Amino acid sequence: MANDIALSVDGLRKQFLLSHSGAASLKTALLWWRRRKLEHFVALDGVNLQVGRGECVALVGRNGAGKSTLLSLISRIYRPTSGSIAVNGRIAPLLELGAGFHPDLTGVENVVFNGIILGLTRKQVQARMADIVRFAELEHHIDSPVRTYSSGMLARLGFAVAVHVDADILIVDEVLAVGDFAFEQKCYARIEDFRRSGGTILFVSHNMESVRQIADRCVWLRGGKVEMEGAPESVITAYQGDRSEVDL
Amino acid sequence: MKAELKELWRFRELLFAMVERELRIRYKNSALGFFWSLLNPLITVLVMTVVFKYVMNNDTPNFSAYILAAYLPYLFFQLTLLDASQSVLVALPVVKKVYFPREILPLASVFSNFIHFLLAILVFFAYLLVVYLLDPRISPFSWTILLLPALLLINFALAAGLSLIVSALNTFYEDVKYIVSVLLYLLFFLSPIMYFSETVLYSGGLGGRNQLIYFLYHLNPVAMLCTAYRKVLVPPQPVQVGENFYPALPLDWGLLGITAAMSLAALIGGYAMFNRMKWRFVERP
Repeated sequence: MANDIALSVDGLRKQFLLSHSGAASLKTALLWWRRRKLEHFVALDGVNLQVGRGECVALVGRNGAGKSTLLSLISRIYRPTSGSIAVNGRIAPLLELGAGFHPDLTGVENVVFNGIILGLTRKQVQARMADIVRFAELEHHIDSPVRTYSSGMLARLGFAVAVHVDADILIVDEVLAVGDFAFEQKCYARIEDFRRSGGTILFVSHNMESVRQIADRCVWLRGGKVEMEGAPESVITAYQGDRSEVDL
Repeated sequence: MKAELKELWRFRELLFAMVERELRIRYKNSALGFFWSLLNPLITVLVMTVVFKYVMNNDTPNFSAYILAAYLPYLFFQLTLLDASQSVLVALPVVKKVYFPREILPLASVFSNFIHFLLAILVFFAYLLVVYLLDPRISPFSWTILLLPALLLINFALAAGLSLIVSALNTFYEDVKYIVSVLLYLLFFLSPIMYFSETVLYSGGLGGRNQLIYFLYHLNPVAMLCTAYRKVLVPPQPVQVGENFYPALPLDWGLLGITAAMSLAALIGGYAMFNRMKWRFVERP
């Protein structure tokens, strides 16, 4: 892969088994062995996408268009049915803030665990602890169990860890709508910093305002295929102008 | 499998963190902490000893030490499998959001229970010492204790291999954990915990096929491990079967070898099976 490409997705296809055709207990598995008609759902159907180093690409499209599936595949949570994904650098997936936070552990303990899950070593997390806590504005609560936190506090702490893992590529799934207005501004400022230092971003958003604000390029997914890609303004205009894409 | 092991090694820090977290969470909100996990075997063994000495009138000296030596490994095995069977299912929300080698989840259950087991063995040694100070006729340690690490290794491999299988299967079929808990319950009676393995050989109720049944009995790796732990940890003494006393048998290396081979096969086979299934966990229908 060329060195100026951060992420390359080639002919990516992903299909899932539909839940009503599955077997969740041994009984159904035994009863329906071989007779079972498996129903598949194609979430992504031959997607090609290249993201250059330092580029910020937005994914738009209706619910069920395959945006989150694409991000999950890139984050290695699913394995593609066919096609390939090549990644150049370290990924920080922000598919969910504070993934794996345990309610009974303190803020500090959870930061350590969350940081390690995102690929840091224990030492690296500890070196960044002060920065993370300051960024999350939780100096007075960081030693309390996180079950005492409000949802805004949890999201702030999760975001603070995620942006301190020094990734090359940030994968963001609609998670910036956290905390109050001031904190949201801080998140955008931080993402701006990340971009200026050469970081690559791939994000999903339903907020066209933020797509216009930070994306270099916009990709419109529809029914598991790339419908259109190009400059944000023209893609957004086409996306919003398409009658079948109007959210009811 | 080599690539999977390399990936697992790359994520070793996450495994340590997960083990530490599991140990922390378990006793976070309880005042007595670690002692709860000791209290369970101690009370059980106390009751068993009382029943044996006074109800069944068995006069083996220091009988509780013999029970403990087999019950602690059994308990490790039981708690590990029950914990592991739930490990992936409980963590599914995280598994759906972050990548890491999935085998870390059951392995964390195995390691944290293994640490408990090691601590319990230390307490067991302290117990032996106290018994010795009270009654110097019973010598607490023999050189066979040097074999303990080998037994621990076999035991760990067996528990880890079966945990990988059970956790993978239970993610798709939740009946598995019920089946496992019933089997574990039966295993308690089919392992020499409340009785001596020699009882099987000298019992009058087996129609003269005692040798064969004794052999088949010890093909069960958990039974063999219980027998081995007992022989290694506490000095053997004559076994009372009915009215008669029989000499204790030495540790059977052939049978232990079979158990070691089975445990290794369980570990390798379990890991291969887990790896084949692990990518489908998130797509569980």
